[in-house]
Amino acid sequence: MAEPPSAGPVPAQRHASQPAALRIEAAGFGYRGTTVLRDVELTVGEGQTLALVGPNGAGKSTLIKSVTGLADLVTGSVTVLGRALPKARGLAAYVPQAETLDPDFPVSAADVVLMGRYRRIGWWRPTGRADRDAALAALDRVGLADRARTRFGLLSGGQRQRVLVARAIAAEARLLLLDEPLNGVDATSQERILSALGELTATGTAVVISTHDLAVAARIADQVCVLNGRQWAAGAPREVLTPEVLREAYGNHAVDLPDGRTMLVET
Amino acid sequence: MLEAPFMLRALAELTLLALICGPVSVFVFARRLSFVADALTHTVFPGVVAGFLVSGADGVFGGALVAGLVTAVVLTLLTRGGLLSDDAATAVVLTALFSVGVALVSRRSSYTSDLTAFLFGRLLTVTPGQLVETAVLAVLTLTLVAIGARAWVFRAFDVGGAAAAGYRIARLDLALNLVVALVVVAAVRAVGTILVVALLIVPAAAARMLTDRLIAMAAAGTVLTLLCGYAGLWLSWTASVDHGVRLTSATAVVLALVLAYVLLLPVGLLRRRRPA
Amino acid sequence: MTYAYAEAVLAGALAGLIGVQVVLRRLSYFTMALTHATFPGVVAAAILGVSITLGGALAGVLVACGVAALTRRRGQDAAAATGVIVAAGFAIGVGLVALQDGFSRELSSFLVGSIVTTGRQDVVTTAIVLVLVAGVLSFFGRGLLFTGFDAAGARSAGYRPALYDLLLLITIELVIVTIVPAVGTILALALIVAPAAAARLWSTRLPVVTGLAVTLGMLSGLLGLLLSGLLDIAAGAAITLVAAAFLVTSLTLRRASLTFPLAFRRASLTARRTSLTARRTS
Repeated sequence: MAEPPSAGPVPAQRHASQPAALRIEAAGFGYRGTTVLRDVELTVGEGQTLALVGPNGAGKSTLIKSVTGLADLVTGSVTVLGRALPKARGLAAYVPQAETLDPDFPVSAADVVLMGRYRRIGWWRPTGRADRDAALAALDRVGLADRARTRFGLLSGGQRQRVLVARAIAAEARLLLLDEPLNGVDATSQERILSALGELTATGTAVVISTHDLAVAARIADQVCVLNGRQWAAGAPREVLTPEVLREAYGNHAVDLPDGRTMLVET
Repeated sequence: MLEAPFMLRALAELTLLALICGPVSVFVFARRLSFVADALTHTVFPGVVAGFLVSGADGVFGGALVAGLVTAVVLTLLTRGGLLSDDAATAVVLTALFSVGVALVSRRSSYTSDLTAFLFGRLLTVTPGQLVETAVLAVLTLTLVAIGARAWVFRAFDVGGAAAAGYRIARLDLALNLVVALVVVAAVRAVGTILVVALLIVPAAAARMLTDRLIAMAAAGTVLTLLCGYAGLWLSWTASVDHGVRLTSATAVVLALVLAYVLLLPVGLLRRRRPA
Repeated sequence: MTYAYAEAVLAGALAGLIGVQVVLRRLSYFTMALTHATFPGVVAAAILGVSITLGGALAGVLVACGVAALTRRRGQDAAAATGVIVAAGFAIGVGLVALQDGFSRELSSFLVGSIVTTGRQDVVTTAIVLVLVAGVLSFFGRGLLFTGFDAAGARSAGYRPALYDLLLLITIELVIVTIVPAVGTILALALIVAPAAAARLWSTRLPVVTGLAVTLGMLSGLLGLLLSGLLDIAAGAAITLVAAAFLVTSLTLRRASLTFPLAFRRASLTARRTSLTARRTS
């Protein structure tokens, strides 16, 4: 099994005693007892970015959903910030694909971002000024401060995705889970999202992001994990994103190489 | 018509229900619980009948409460996915429990009048005691709504995000179904099943045509229900006093609500078409 | 009384047949809206003195188109619109009944039906509709399946999903208009959904599911009517409870077979081996 990269940037405020943001050991994930993804072994430290790559149906979403509690951890263990999974729920912030959400839902962009504060607000306290300010600040970080009052469904696909990233920022979680946030997103939004993620990791937040875009994975990730039913490889991008590994994991599928070329990998 | 004390009490009952149903219908709308709400109104019936058979008129409320809460739990469990699709599960729970009620009541001789009383309630014979019951349940419901509102909205909009934030989805769903059951129990004896269904679905659906904001929807739903409640009472009063048509007041209120929905439909379509 | 039994069995078969489509396409609530929306049509026909089946069918088709238009858009609005139709259909029907006398009796027979008063004419009508619906479903079966499963794919293959949706709606409406006078609205919904949902648990193959649903529907009708006589309860309620019991039993057995797959697989293997041996010896 590949070791976590030694070359990754080490954030300044990291203490030796602090637990990893996410540690997955000998884990299998699935739904209702059926395993979809097995043999996963990963550690993401504070301020690090892990990219999950693999073909459709590889189990990327299942892994992310298991950490949020929507899919099941069948075997092994998952620890978020030092707490094991059933108890660890609520510690990570989740960014779904914008297109999976109902565009007719009557909420504004600011309402959506405010959802990131709900756990902080609790059950009893009314939403306060500080929470509203935090939500607006988060919207500003993704460049959408002027669209706060617009209905979520009226924004473009890329803008909706940015609103969801802003929600995760407002949650101030130390682990962010993003499920294919760059699918069908325009170039401006993609850059906005990536730079927002960069700012977050600089302050110690760990990021797990699934993507089809190997070039993006190579650019932003400290660690890349190749999945397809099981974990095929994990490590620094240049060690993992090699034709040999990809050919093994993807079979004969079209693959975008990190240097931007697309190549058809034959079996 | 308001010089008659029973009309005043009917209006008071409708006002209380408008206060509850404005906000609650917003969640029924957002979570697409129309069918579940419909099912709950039907499944309270066997509870009403059983309560009446066990301890007369005093047992009705308790029976309804037990049946409502039990159905809320069963529906939550059955609609959590799995072998049965949730709409089929809801349909069968609805029809089967309603049939238990019909089977119980069909052994009595005054069968049809019991059935109609349950369907239409007795809005004009609401007693001060019933008003107090409704008021207590209204306070309870609105408190629960105030506590759960944010979590329910989050869950309705994005299950994944809500689960990741640490909300227990199953418990949130159960809590909302229980609140809907409480509303049904509070309202069903006075206004009957059909009006309860209408009160749980129409206010938010109509208000949605007017606004994109959830809080405004709740407020508009309440105002709309008040207006339609008054209009419906007036309609049934006029129909029976001036024209001799025995239009029950509950039916008239439902017709007023549906009319409001139909009138607001084009407003909603126009608003949609207008560019953002 | 013979007519009542014939009607119960035929209605069960008819409901089971269309129920498969309703369950596969998740149209249960929609079907409930249709049953409620048919009510005013039936009452209006009675007031005007025209044939109730004809009036109901005519109103029903109109309503089916209206419902289809209102609920065309998926999502929150569609669910709410269906709910509004349920409430509206019922209230308008009741409002029309109020214009007449004999209010309560007609209303409760609409809810739970009056199968005991079925005559020869009703049985013949149900039989004809059964043949008609079976014909429509087998002739258009492939298109209905394709458009129901994947509307976009079907469209690109040259099918017109909207037409098939409408065809299905009208067929469902026809079934409702036929069986509601005998068995009532609540039971109509139960008889359409429960046998098909139970059958769906046992197989994924459409012909098997359909055959099973029709069989269970007929059995529900027969046993329910027997039970209602024995226990002296309303026939509609008894039939519903039998249909629901079939579903609950299927669900329990199916759960058990999923929880303990080995025991069941062994049992079915033994069964298959026995049947093979039996065939060889014969």
